[in-house]
Amino acid sequence: MKLFGPEHERVLSSLYGDGASEFDVLLRSFSAVLEAKVLPLSLGLDQGKGDIGQTRRTLFEQGLCKLSHPERYGGMGLPFGVYALAMELAGAADASTAMSIGIHNTVADAVAQFGSEEQRRKLLPSLLSGEKLAAFALTEPSSGSDARSMRTRAAKDGKHFVLDGSKMFITNAGEADVYLVFASTGAGHSAFLVEGSNPGLKVGAQLREKLGMRGSHTAEVKLEKCRVAAEDSLLGDEGAGFECAKKLLDSSRIVMGMMCVGIARTAYVKALAYSRSRELFGKKLSDFQLTREKLANSVIEMNASRLLCMHAARLKELGLSFTSEAAQGKVLATETSARTCDAAIQLLGGYGYATDDVHRHWRDARLLAIGEGASEVLRLLIASRELEPTA
Amino acid sequence: MLGVEAVAIELDEVSPGLRSSGKVLLVKGEKVLEDDGDLAATSIVEVAKAKGLQALLVGDTRFGRVVAAKAAARLRVGSLGKGKRLRAEGGSLVVTRDVYGGKFLADVAARLPCVALVQPGSYSAAEGSAVPAETMTLTVGDPKIVVKETKRGRQAEAGIKSATIIVSAGRGFAKKDDLLLASDLAKALGGALGGSRPLSSDLGWLGEEQQIGLTGAYVHPKLYVAVGISGQLQHVAGIKDSKVIVAINNDKEAPIFQFADYGIVGDLYEVLPALTKLLKNG
Amino acid sequence: MNIVVLVKDAVDEAELRADPSGHPIQKGATTKMSNFDKNGVEEAVKQKEEHGGTITVLTLGGAESKKAMREAMAMGGTRGVHILAEPEAAPDSLGTAYYLAKAIQRIGEVDLVVCSEGASDTYMGQVGAMVAEFLGMPFLAYAKKVEVDGVKITCEQGVEKGVRVLEAKLPAVVSVLSETNVPRYPTLLQVMVASKKAIEDVQLSTLKESDYPVTGFEVLSVTVQPVNRKRLILEGKPEEAAKKLVEALRQEGVL
Repeated sequence: MKLFGPEHERVLSSLYGDGASEFDVLLRSFSAVLEAKVLPLSLGLDQGKGDIGQTRRTLFEQGLCKLSHPERYGGMGLPFGVYALAMELAGAADASTAMSIGIHNTVADAVAQFGSEEQRRKLLPSLLSGEKLAAFALTEPSSGSDARSMRTRAAKDGKHFVLDGSKMFITNAGEADVYLVFASTGAGHSAFLVEGSNPGLKVGAQLREKLGMRGSHTAEVKLEKCRVAAEDSLLGDEGAGFECAKKLLDSSRIVMGMMCVGIARTAYVKALAYSRSRELFGKKLSDFQLTREKLANSVIEMNASRLLCMHAARLKELGLSFTSEAAQGKVLATETSARTCDAAIQLLGGYGYATDDVHRHWRDARLLAIGEGASEVLRLLIASRELEPTA
Repeated sequence: MLGVEAVAIELDEVSPGLRSSGKVLLVKGEKVLEDDGDLAATSIVEVAKAKGLQALLVGDTRFGRVVAAKAAARLRVGSLGKGKRLRAEGGSLVVTRDVYGGKFLADVAARLPCVALVQPGSYSAAEGSAVPAETMTLTVGDPKIVVKETKRGRQAEAGIKSATIIVSAGRGFAKKDDLLLASDLAKALGGALGGSRPLSSDLGWLGEEQQIGLTGAYVHPKLYVAVGISGQLQHVAGIKDSKVIVAINNDKEAPIFQFADYGIVGDLYEVLPALTKLLKNG
Repeated sequence: MNIVVLVKDAVDEAELRADPSGHPIQKGATTKMSNFDKNGVEEAVKQKEEHGGTITVLTLGGAESKKAMREAMAMGGTRGVHILAEPEAAPDSLGTAYYLAKAIQRIGEVDLVVCSEGASDTYMGQVGAMVAEFLGMPFLAYAKKVEVDGVKITCEQGVEKGVRVLEAKLPAVVSVLSETNVPRYPTLLQVMVASKKAIEDVQLSTLKESDYPVTGFEVLSVTVQPVNRKRLILEGKPEEAAKKLVEALRQEGVL
């Protein structure tokens, strides 16, 4: 399967004009690597065989995380939209790996945006190269959408903080070298960089019943009298943690949306090929109008999702506010992608239902309407912007 | 056959059946094959000039290609690669050959005199009276390349290029020892063992001379059994002239089934022993 | 060490389609760096990493060819030289070798010319040896392993019957096989940097001199090869299918 197609070329042209050809060459080269080294391992990762470390390493070595970070930290200084499109391609190659790296890169983003010069110097190069893996710990057993009600606390103790609490559904748990942990401090919330080797950080058993994203490692993470030095660990200002989280999620929502488009596209390509060859009632499956309707709807929705997410990306590049657009993009992308993957199962009929290699795409996509901002929360966000008192 | 004064050049004995009604130029000698093709090319060029030869036909092997290229460059004439069929037409030599991975067939021509590489086995041996041999003395310069060592590969099996039945192995085999299943079947059928390029080039499980395909040998058996071979264009290019092609592969989507007369979608580790047993028991 | 690596932007045979009359649709056909040439580039890069120096990526082809050249430069080529020749007027093997050799002579002090066993679209396998002839250099063909030590080059040559160890003095031309190495995938950064490296355009006419060899080469026709096979799938368990097969083969008269 060719991951980089004419539709990507056209999106780049329409958004970047003359500058597009450079990004074209980059993403084509990236696709070739994905097709050779990640895509063939994707099914195996879903089935519990293989090692996500290997596929992740391929993407790190390519420099996926370096794409849009500033050059002075070891990045390539390219527009955020190029990274977003690269994440669509990564998602099309393997959802679990793309998810793992997307989350890791959100932490790299956090350090780049909110870290002290010392924290950036110490951590960014190894985060961008993938030498160190990161995890993002915000969600808890009893607080997901209502993040503000989190129970994990960080108590100040001289020049240290002591964290106590529990985080849940943490991607890369157990593998990560550093965890970005959000905890309530006094009146507000703060963000802390906690090393995986910290004796107060305990990773629970891997969640084995996830519907999808089975290649990635997800677990509960407990903080038990977890002691960290304030200077190294506190990221950004004390009490500003929640604001940091919101800003980070704005960007990561674009990425998660694009990743979903990639997942949908892989499912769609399989359905398209099958509809061409499957014969019934003396015709090909693709001859039937109801088939064509499904194909057309899938294309419309994938393209709309991609463009809305890329629109948010372009606003971010231009330094304009993009919170609502990012939320819109994620809602559209995650919901329609699951629909496209479901349509693919339907077109493939019995084989769709009975084959991991088909239904895993729906199983993978289904997470994203829940994680990184449930669709409900995002709709409320969008609506509240609309209902803001006009100046 | 060609209607022109052609000379078939025999280098090593790997171009059987390459004869014309014209003369056969035998370039023999230990020394000749021990260099980089320089000596052979020199000999050919000298004879061609002396005898005013029109078409120089060389068997398409790795060595042959180098010799043909050098001779053509020195004579400043065209060199046409790996031809299945040749004909003379209006002062040119026309070669029919596979292009684009074997998807297409091309007729390419060069003005006579020229050099052409001929796929061994393309023509069957013709009857002809023995021609009296002529000797020529040539002066050759010092070789630019020194051959320090020659390591013979495994003893080549009965040549696949002339085999009438071939069992061919591909990447479907998990390890080298498993090729025994294929060679057992070949024995039961009374045929030879060949393989796709990865097995000789990348894995080294078979010798180069057993490689079948665009960059290896073209075979013409009455029966070709492709086992665990996916059916890439480059491989299929070498088996098109087989009378009957059988494919055994556990992937029903494998392209090889499009190029086969009979296909079995199944595990070669089960199908091969079953087949071999049936054939042995008559 | 100054290395020149020969790269061809070949027609992508997997994407090439036939028109209704069976002729290949060549206009606008997708092209790619000839598969085997990747091994050539990889070998050149390995030698550069070991001995230092520069790599000139040399290509004869139309405007589209720059894509393949940039790929080679992303893998480690220093600069490019592009001999512009439109596909409709492409020279044959001897003509191509002539132009390549002339361009190499213009580059100056070249120690090593690396190429592959043949182009993936036409596979004649002649150009490398011809270039060596025009340059008066030794041609070490089908090298499985290449070692350079000062001015001495040694390689293990893969021939049908086995392996020969060859030795020659630089400058030399060497062709590699697909098993010689595993071509690297350039990183995104390397691709980005390569897009800024220099490629010199050379017009065909500036290389052509009175000694240009005219061979009368012509492509008379190219037609798609139809596949006429029965495509019968024999169903059943291994033993059943095997039985059906033996019967069918007996019927065919091949057993």
